[in-house]
Amino acid sequence: MKKISVEHLARVEGNGGISATIDGNVVSEVNFIINEGPRLIEKLVLGRTPEEDASMSPRICAICTCSHKNAVLRAMENALNIQISQKSYLLRELMHMGEFIESHSLHTFYLALPDFVGFPNAVAMASQYEFEVKIALEMKHFGNHIMKVTNGRYIHGENAIIGGFGKYPSREELIWIKERAINFMPFVQKTVDLFCGLDYPDAPDAETTYVCCEPGDDRFGFWGDEIIVSTGDKIFRNDYAQLTNEFVVPHSYAKHSRYQGKPFSVGALARIVNIGERLQGEAGKMYKKYYTPQWKTNPFFHNPARTLEIMHCFERIPVLVDEFLRLEEKSSTVEYKIQDGKGTGIVEAPRGLLIHHHEITKGKVTYADIITPTAQNAEDIERYCHIAAQKLLDQGQEDKIRSRMDMVVRAFDPCISCSAHMAEVKQAPVDAWKNKLNEIKSQGDPLYIGVGNEARSDDGVGIQLALELRKKGNHQVLLESEITEQENLGISANQQPLIFLDAIDFNEAPGKVTLIPLNYVLQNTALSHRFLPVISGIINYTQAKNAYVLGIQPLSIQAGSQVSPQVRSVMTEILEQIDNRTSS
Amino acid sequence: MKKDKLKVGIYELTGCAGDALLILDCEMELLDIFKAVDIQSFLMAKSDNIDGELDIALVEGSVTTEKEIEELKDIRKRSKIVVALGLCACVGGIQARFQGDEWEKHLQEVYGDTEMNHVRAVASQPIDAYVDVDFYLPGCPIGKEQFLNFFTRVVGGSPPEKYPQPVCVTCKYHENDCLLKKGIPCLGPLTADGCGSICPNHNVPCYGCWGPVEGANLRSEYYLLQEFGLDIEAIQQRMANYSGTKFSEFFEQLRKETK
Repeated sequence: MKKISVEHLARVEGNGGISATIDGNVVSEVNFIINEGPRLIEKLVLGRTPEEDASMSPRICAICTCSHKNAVLRAMENALNIQISQKSYLLRELMHMGEFIESHSLHTFYLALPDFVGFPNAVAMASQYEFEVKIALEMKHFGNHIMKVTNGRYIHGENAIIGGFGKYPSREELIWIKERAINFMPFVQKTVDLFCGLDYPDAPDAETTYVCCEPGDDRFGFWGDEIIVSTGDKIFRNDYAQLTNEFVVPHSYAKHSRYQGKPFSVGALARIVNIGERLQGEAGKMYKKYYTPQWKTNPFFHNPARTLEIMHCFERIPVLVDEFLRLEEKSSTVEYKIQDGKGTGIVEAPRGLLIHHHEITKGKVTYADIITPTAQNAEDIERYCHIAAQKLLDQGQEDKIRSRMDMVVRAFDPCISCSAHMAEVKQAPVDAWKNKLNEIKSQGDPLYIGVGNEARSDDGVGIQLALELRKKGNHQVLLESEITEQENLGISANQQPLIFLDAIDFNEAPGKVTLIPLNYVLQNTALSHRFLPVISGIINYTQAKNAYVLGIQPLSIQAGSQVSPQVRSVMTEILEQIDNRTSS
Repeated sequence: MKKDKLKVGIYELTGCAGDALLILDCEMELLDIFKAVDIQSFLMAKSDNIDGELDIALVEGSVTTEKEIEELKDIRKRSKIVVALGLCACVGGIQARFQGDEWEKHLQEVYGDTEMNHVRAVASQPIDAYVDVDFYLPGCPIGKEQFLNFFTRVVGGSPPEKYPQPVCVTCKYHENDCLLKKGIPCLGPLTADGCGSICPNHNVPCYGCWGPVEGANLRSEYYLLQEFGLDIEAIQQRMANYSGTKFSEFFEQLRKETK
């Protein structure tokens, strides 16, 4: 078995890795690994006052600190029934834009661009792109400056507090920011043209579901009280659990999320896909000029999407400053009383939807639930890496897998500290399926499901295996034809593993056995048709997570009732392995 | 002959990556920093990283996995000077609140019975719990001025400047009204200086994010906050938020006295 791994992903914020295992012609496993240890932030804030919680929970992430601040404050203000002043509201939006400009310019120019123009880092890239590197640093500095003016300092500022702000910035400071934003527009235009004009690799190429906040009033923006899903669904903030369904995976201290059983994407691309058409001004013109349906199916388009957002911010800032200064100077905070309550605050962090839910009882925080964008993206990061790795392997470009996966992960701009450095490619050992089978069996007795067509020689192997197993009498076995409804599976939504037995053409030597998660088969359109009738609507979300395919490479699937000798001999081996209990 | 540049490595253990990010936030000085020294390893900023002998290792984050203990020991072996960068590396960070059984319990609550197969977690500790540390640069996150000052001096071969005073000293320079005098529970007197007294400058009480200043009069602050009507638990929690494992002895003593 061969394993390609990027143990320490470079140019991302935090410590994580991605690994792919290659078993012959198949990428059999992809894991997005987060090496950061658990910090248990949601537990650390318990027993704290709401004010202490609002200071501590943004410490989850340095780069999204203002997003966390806005999210926790919105949650607390919902819980305590506080209405902040319009002035404070505008200043929080300005603060949020400071973070977007800082984070997006850091990511696009310093972390991502070197990949697409062939340099190991931005400092090396400066030899050829000196102007861009220097001005982008100034843009990033400007974003930081906005955060300092509004929130007190670049990272983990404390000026934004429950009820408003400790102190409003001076008129002079704000006017400076407004003028600087206007003067920056020519470079912003250059940035959009540069990133929208780059050639992005075509793999991975696959559709996904996009999720972001609904800013309301048909506006483009970075927070709201509802969540929009690209399927057309809308979810009110308090019902966020319908979206996220967080679950723990054994290779990461960041939890993963799926919506209705499917991975989804959040971030700049999700926002542009879902609400990009609402962009106004120059950003709106650029959206019309550059946006194509191709953006929807390729995560590398997160980069041009980020530049459209940068433009939106630069156009919005002068408006915000003017409105803020027009409003009458009043106290920067509103009075509030601590009362029992629970509140959810949802915002868009630069890397996607961020949810804070906090509950207060007798003046102390009694429950906190924080769902970060990278946790929501983790499943799609793994899925897109798998698609890219399999495509490159099919094209005989195995040597490119490592760097491509690295780029895919980076495209999501994962903030790994908020969850989780990153790529590894491994070669599976001979007969890797045996160990994997033992691993699955150790979770509980699997339900075996025979799939195939007995009238087509080797295609009948799945059915024959199932019938043999049934004869033995000590296994739970079903045939494809017997599954018509959920109840027929004979299992409730428990953790019992499902193993489909089937002939699958991986273009390997006949009789080669591969055991892979069902999802990987479903991602492969050429293979998925076999399982769609079996699984559509019948297998629920929890079961699909724990379903596998034991695929046997057929010699022939021509009409005929005989299974080839190669496949026949491996059948015996499979039956023995399934029966073998000593190693489980 | 041209003198060889100092070899520097910047490493991130578990934390929010804010200290490494703050180095990238030195936008106007960043290219000069990369020119002045030979940055051998800086995962957040570059792909071509080498793990060899170093003159200076800047380590951010607290130690929370067994793998990090090994990495940290390896960094110590390869480096002449090890610097604890930021609050997490200096005192263990906010995540050092739970230790022992309490930590086990919370870990189980969050991650359930899923057995982690990649790394084994341990309760959060500052880096000096495992290796010798030459210098400390506190802050959540570190301060730009303090970092550049430190960096310039060390690169020039001088010992770094010390900051033995609490936040109150800088706060006075800013002519702020003392928040404690207004009955607002500010932790300025207990907290190491270096931030520029940002929070009190904004009418916000100091939360203590630079960690404890040496020789802080814990007892005096404790009684003062009691006078404000805060209960013992609330005071202890407030003091403990950003002091990592450092105030535990004092709290132990208090518990004995109040029994």
